[in-house]
Amino acid sequence: MDHPIIEPWESDDLTHEFYVPDYIERIAQDVLESYDLSVNSIQVITTKPDKGGAIWKLETTSGPKSLKLLHRRPTRSMFSLGAQEYLVKVQDARVPAIVKTMDEKDYVEAGGKLWFVAEWIEPLEPVTKDLEGAKHLCYALGEFHRLSKGYEPPQQSEVASRLHKWPSSYEKMIIKMDWFRNIANVYGELPASTHLLNVVDRFEEQARNSLTRLNQSSYSELIKKGNAFWGLVHQDYGWSNGQMGSNGMWIIDLDGVAFDLPLRDLRKLISGTMADLYRWDVNWVREMIKSYHESNPLTAELYEILMIDLSLPNEFYKNIKEVVYEPELFLNDQTTQLIQTIVDTDQTKWPVLKEIEDDWRGVESL
Amino acid sequence: MKILMICTEKLPVPPVLGGAIQTYISGNLPYLSRFHEITVLGISERSLPNQETIDGVHYVRVPGQILEIYREGVIKYLESTSFDLIHIFNRPRLVLPVRKVAPEAKITLSMHNDMFNPDKISPEEATAALEEVSNIVTVSDYVGNVIRNLYPQATAKITTIYSGVDTEQFLPGYHPKMQKIRNEIRQEHGLENKTVIMFAGRLSHNKGVDRLIRALPELSKKFKDLAVVVVGSSWFSEDNITDYVAYVRAMTKKLTIPVVTTGFVSPSVIQNWFAAADLFVCTSQWNEPLARVHYEAMAAGLPILTTARGGNPEVIQLNENGLVVENPENPIGFVEKITEILSDKSKMKNMGIKGRELAVSLYKWDRVASEILGVWGDAIHTSSSSVPETLTDIYVEQEIIKDLVSADSIEAKPTDTKSNYKQKSTLEKKVEARPTDTKSNYKQKSTLEKKVEAEVKQEPIIELDNKPEKEIENNGMKDKSKTHSVRDMIKESLRESVRKTIIEQMIIDSNEVSTEDSISNLIRELKRRRNIE
Repeated sequence: MDHPIIEPWESDDLTHEFYVPDYIERIAQDVLESYDLSVNSIQVITTKPDKGGAIWKLETTSGPKSLKLLHRRPTRSMFSLGAQEYLVKVQDARVPAIVKTMDEKDYVEAGGKLWFVAEWIEPLEPVTKDLEGAKHLCYALGEFHRLSKGYEPPQQSEVASRLHKWPSSYEKMIIKMDWFRNIANVYGELPASTHLLNVVDRFEEQARNSLTRLNQSSYSELIKKGNAFWGLVHQDYGWSNGQMGSNGMWIIDLDGVAFDLPLRDLRKLISGTMADLYRWDVNWVREMIKSYHESNPLTAELYEILMIDLSLPNEFYKNIKEVVYEPELFLNDQTTQLIQTIVDTDQTKWPVLKEIEDDWRGVESL
Repeated sequence: MKILMICTEKLPVPPVLGGAIQTYISGNLPYLSRFHEITVLGISERSLPNQETIDGVHYVRVPGQILEIYREGVIKYLESTSFDLIHIFNRPRLVLPVRKVAPEAKITLSMHNDMFNPDKISPEEATAALEEVSNIVTVSDYVGNVIRNLYPQATAKITTIYSGVDTEQFLPGYHPKMQKIRNEIRQEHGLENKTVIMFAGRLSHNKGVDRLIRALPELSKKFKDLAVVVVGSSWFSEDNITDYVAYVRAMTKKLTIPVVTTGFVSPSVIQNWFAAADLFVCTSQWNEPLARVHYEAMAAGLPILTTARGGNPEVIQLNENGLVVENPENPIGFVEKITEILSDKSKMKNMGIKGRELAVSLYKWDRVASEILGVWGDAIHTSSSSVPETLTDIYVEQEIIKDLVSADSIEAKPTDTKSNYKQKSTLEKKVEARPTDTKSNYKQKSTLEKKVEAEVKQEPIIELDNKPEKEIENNGMKDKSKTHSVRDMIKESLRESVRKTIIEQMIIDSNEVSTEDSISNLIRELKRRRNIE
């Protein structure tokens, strides 16, 4: 089978939401030839046109399955598939099992990308968007992290690790704050520019403090324990990739897993949830951390790193970084509103972090 | 000698897609291949065959891009072919796997950047790799110092060899061969009657062209005729541009000064842009090893403004061939120094002339090649030290010392190898040849200058294949060197026999495990042996 190389594709108002180019659909059909499956129907479930990835749902005589076209480099995808296999086979985690090809392989390489088939878990329900739901997510996340420890990637794969990259990702945030400022200065006539300029110093200062604290923390000691000790982060975890099945929480879409301190997923979940609430709530934060701790115990050192990571201006950064692309469009009245919301939410963050900072004092270290 | 040069897994050699390391290797091959039988092992590339012989150099190409895949190809190749010396470029992580299949070969390692940092190679593997290599060549003192700080035990093995440039390819814009091209480019891009500031490099935060862009509004108040040329890829592409490129584009959009962006320029024609420019600015924010563009700008007769980061200032003689921005984070530094250069046209011109002179006298490939030949010679006469230290350094040392003539000054430094001796004395000799240049803030550079000038005067560089002996003789070190080499020879033969046993054992032990495993096995085995001894 000789296939064209898969490239990202254009998606616009003329193409429907689940449009996938014909040549990729044809490759998908060829890929399925490698499996001992009798497929009754195939349907696109989600696409990543800008990256060149897609997921199909298959109805087969042996039940529903998913077919995935992974957009990452094949060697990078091998890392994630190895992790998925490890979690299912070695750790018995609630993660969809990979369906083997007829020659017992985990994947098919076609069009320069990896494709694989996995079990489609049914029933699967999102947890409720309340504290109970958030606690379920946190407990399941801790479990995922705990079970991913000890993973050794296949020999041919690229080792994806963010373990050493914390300081540089903090630095990058600080650097980009300066970009935001410079752009707002140069495009001073646009509606949101003044507002951006009014607050950027404050958020830059926060990021600098976080970096200082990270450098003074036990981070550098903790990372010495190495990749396999800490296990994997999911990197895209939340209400859609952690869902309730008949026998407990399942975690899906593992394509982006990487070695890291597990806290990063937890931090993203907490700060994202607080952004959705439009305010920081001390009870939510405490309960979420506690649920996580039940399945993957946190030490005082890890708790400190979590506090530091929460102190970053994560939401400001995440929402404003788009400004570099089309400042003329981005710096509009809507962004002025957005900045105000972020600032208001941020003001409720600090009392919460202050209140919980000593919660883990004296908890046994590793 | 039969020599294998192992390139990195990123880009092919010859440098059809560019690349500093690839350019370095290709620049040296015409000279190196006159003295040795050379094979270049690199990655496959659509436009190049998997095996070929050009001008006496044998090229072998295996799949690359990912180190793990490349490593497999390298190992497979080495299983069938043996070499006296293997020169690995910038991949310390290849050292142990190579050692496993080539237990007899000497290994030289070239370091072009920070691949010894802990996030690139585990301290355990790095330590073991450093013991296996005979010597380490770095592209600047900066790169060597970073390795020294991490692994002080490697100090004696590290030598700086500055890179080079083809001074026939890169020529000043006023050179008869370039005048027409210069005029054409300037005409085509609306640069006539402009003072053209040139940047060449990746568009990334580390390379920092944004600081130059941000300096322009201020500069445009002082100079009415400015234009900027940015030579670097990924400017135009619509999708998949980085945040950084988007940022620089956004900042450029509002400028009144014309900014010409070239996109990717093939390495074979990039000299044309240098010839079209009037001032070269390197804006690097990071501790850069030492960017090649400095040599190219010098050869093109351009005054240089660079930053006090990494190895870059090592090739600048202040006010002679350029200036250095001490705090490159702040665009003001670029405003000030560019103003300083542009305000004095005769000084600006002289800086360009001096740059060309330096390129021709110090930074041609034949000089680089002659230094590499010297290092290879040293490697062949030293042994790598995968032998228990207790055995070599204490027991052997004591035994030898007992048997040899009574103590002289050398025994004060029993671990000094012959090659170190030579390097030190060479340097000393060069420094003595002329008093230190007090004008310069950057001492390392002036040392090199003296060193090479002395060499140029004493003998034509290209005939330096027999250089080491001459130097030792000239140096009044003859007797000591001899004493030393007798001892070295005994030590070496003892080491060799122990080493062979160890390596044979390692190969038996690691026969059936994966490469990743065998690296830890190799390290473990070395350690175990040491403990037993």
